[in-house]
Amino acid sequence: MFNFTAITEALIACDQDKVLELVEAGLRQAVPAKDLLDLGLIAGMDVIGERMEKEEMFIPEVLMAAMVMSAAVDLLKPRLAEGEVGAKGKVVIGTVKGDLHDIGKNLVAMMLKSAGLEVHNIGVDIAPERFVEEIKVKKADILALSALLTTTMPMMRETVAAVVEAGVRNQVKILVGGAPVTQAFADEIGADGYAADAGSATKLVKSLLP
Amino acid sequence: MDLKGLAGGQYKPLSEKDIQTIHEAALGILEKTGFTYESGLEATAGMLEAAGARIDRTAARIRFPRKFVLDHIRKAPRTVVLYSRTGRDDLDLTENRVYLGTGGAAIRVIDLETGEYRPTTLKDLYLLARLVDKLDHIHFFLRPCIPTDIPEDAYDVNMFYACMKGTGKHVMSGVNNIDGFHKVLDLASIVAGGREKLIERPFISIITSFAISPLKLCTASTLIMQEAIRHRIPVALSCAPMAGSTSPITMAATLAQIHAEQLAGITICQMTNPGAPLLYGGIPGRANLNTMGYLGGAVECGMMNAAIHQMAHHIGVPNYNSSALTDSKIPDQQAAWEKGMTTLLTAMGGCNYVHHAAGMLDSMVGVAYEQYVIDDEIIGMSCKVLKGIDVDPEHLALEVIDSVGPGGNFMTHAHTLRHMRTEYFNGNGVSDRRSRNKWEQDGGLDARERGRQIARKILSAPELPFLSEAADKAIRRKFTIHL
Repeated sequence: MFNFTAITEALIACDQDKVLELVEAGLRQAVPAKDLLDLGLIAGMDVIGERMEKEEMFIPEVLMAAMVMSAAVDLLKPRLAEGEVGAKGKVVIGTVKGDLHDIGKNLVAMMLKSAGLEVHNIGVDIAPERFVEEIKVKKADILALSALLTTTMPMMRETVAAVVEAGVRNQVKILVGGAPVTQAFADEIGADGYAADAGSATKLVKSLLP
Repeated sequence: MDLKGLAGGQYKPLSEKDIQTIHEAALGILEKTGFTYESGLEATAGMLEAAGARIDRTAARIRFPRKFVLDHIRKAPRTVVLYSRTGRDDLDLTENRVYLGTGGAAIRVIDLETGEYRPTTLKDLYLLARLVDKLDHIHFFLRPCIPTDIPEDAYDVNMFYACMKGTGKHVMSGVNNIDGFHKVLDLASIVAGGREKLIERPFISIITSFAISPLKLCTASTLIMQEAIRHRIPVALSCAPMAGSTSPITMAATLAQIHAEQLAGITICQMTNPGAPLLYGGIPGRANLNTMGYLGGAVECGMMNAAIHQMAHHIGVPNYNSSALTDSKIPDQQAAWEKGMTTLLTAMGGCNYVHHAAGMLDSMVGVAYEQYVIDDEIIGMSCKVLKGIDVDPEHLALEVIDSVGPGGNFMTHAHTLRHMRTEYFNGNGVSDRRSRNKWEQDGGLDARERGRQIARKILSAPELPFLSEAADKAIRRKFTIHL
């Protein structure tokens, strides 16, 4: 029996060399790539998710683990069948017009990426019509909007309105977040969801995908 | 994060000239005014007289010539090490090294479950020892409360027993009389596995309130002090006048009187057994002028306690004093600001052995379990200040700034991972830093309730065997243990 726990533990410890070495060893021993992914790597990310939730792990550690995970998945990709790996959903994410705040939104983007989603981070100060265009071009499943200022929160409402007006509202689930944003505000402007932090944003996105 | 024994001394309320002035004033007080004493100290007075002190027996007055004092205080060791039993919490009291811990003789406690303010018991003492053992920033365990549920003649042995059973950290307490001292010495020798081992690494020490301010020797405590000094068990020479009642109302005069009292106490000890370890134990306080009770939470207590360390340091003796006393009755905002201020000031003052720093409430009358958890956080943060800011190539991280470049972020840089757990103080969990949502989900608890939860969690863990079964049996054969 291959020791999948060793991969899980090395991933939790963010030890990239060890993780890659163990994954390669598994492949040499003809362990199915799908098992290495599910029983080793994803099991590790699940533990990391729980620890992040309990605040036992810092975000930089979670992100580092995600980067290690992604390097290991690259190794496995050639051995995985179609559909066993790859984007589970497409996300367009940006900060609304008039707001230049970047870091929280980038963090959410990174976390979503590490969860296996295809993420298009289109930046800050994004006008409603630009969001609409990106949804169409990227065939997005999720639109994630960020605002840090109470003065730019109304722009979230305008962006949602623009998506409705453009006739693509049914194509995407809309998420909002940022320090002043609340669940009540999300409900009021007709968004599909609100998350208080990057960890819960990832959970929320997964729950909203078909 | 290990924040024990860091160097304070960043805050110096007295200038070099002030220190010199107060030191001279104290020598003058001893020479001109001197000390009084009561019956029972004839041998001590005789010893002082033979060495050059001037004794006026009709007026019961001892006057200490300046040179005589200076000759004897010089013999006190500059370094005193108070040991732990685990080796993890040894206290190297030198120069401006800072350690903070519990203290007091509280008679009431806020019950952890009912919230009732009730008399303290021997079990409380044991539970508080267990709690403090697990709070990393509380560096030693000075008996914080009195076991009001047992006979008074059983106090000495039972208090030391309960403390040593609950924690491996250094244990300090007072004793009622010489007989009590010898019992405690026997008890600790059993725990150590022999008297020599105890003297070599003293993991207990004794507080003796030898001076009744102003300027009077307490017969019982002076005798205990001399007996402990003869046996080379470290002693804290406690004297704690209140400005406005037992010392003059002004801070400078209070410091001068305390310094005089300490010089006299150290002189007596070093004459009794030259080179024996002791702590300069001046604790400046304020009288509450509305009631003439003790006023612990005043910001000036922090200032004066930092100043008294400067006086102890001036004569090269490690010091014992106080912080974090509060006049608030419950662990509330007032308790937090009074504790925060005085603890930070004493830490930055470089005070060596700061007791009362955790748990105390109600002008020294009471303690609360959750307050220990909160004060652990305050002490940790205060000691973190002493660590200062490292400025070296690794901490300046110029290559990191360049490699991330303008507009990037530092979240996943190896430099971040390398330093994120050591550069900043993270605390014991009593400070809430989560999102409002998560806070609300967990019941929207305030700091006091979070402190209670942490205390309950620590106390529900299995008890650690700080006393071996054999030692415990030997102790119970010899003494009546009420726990």
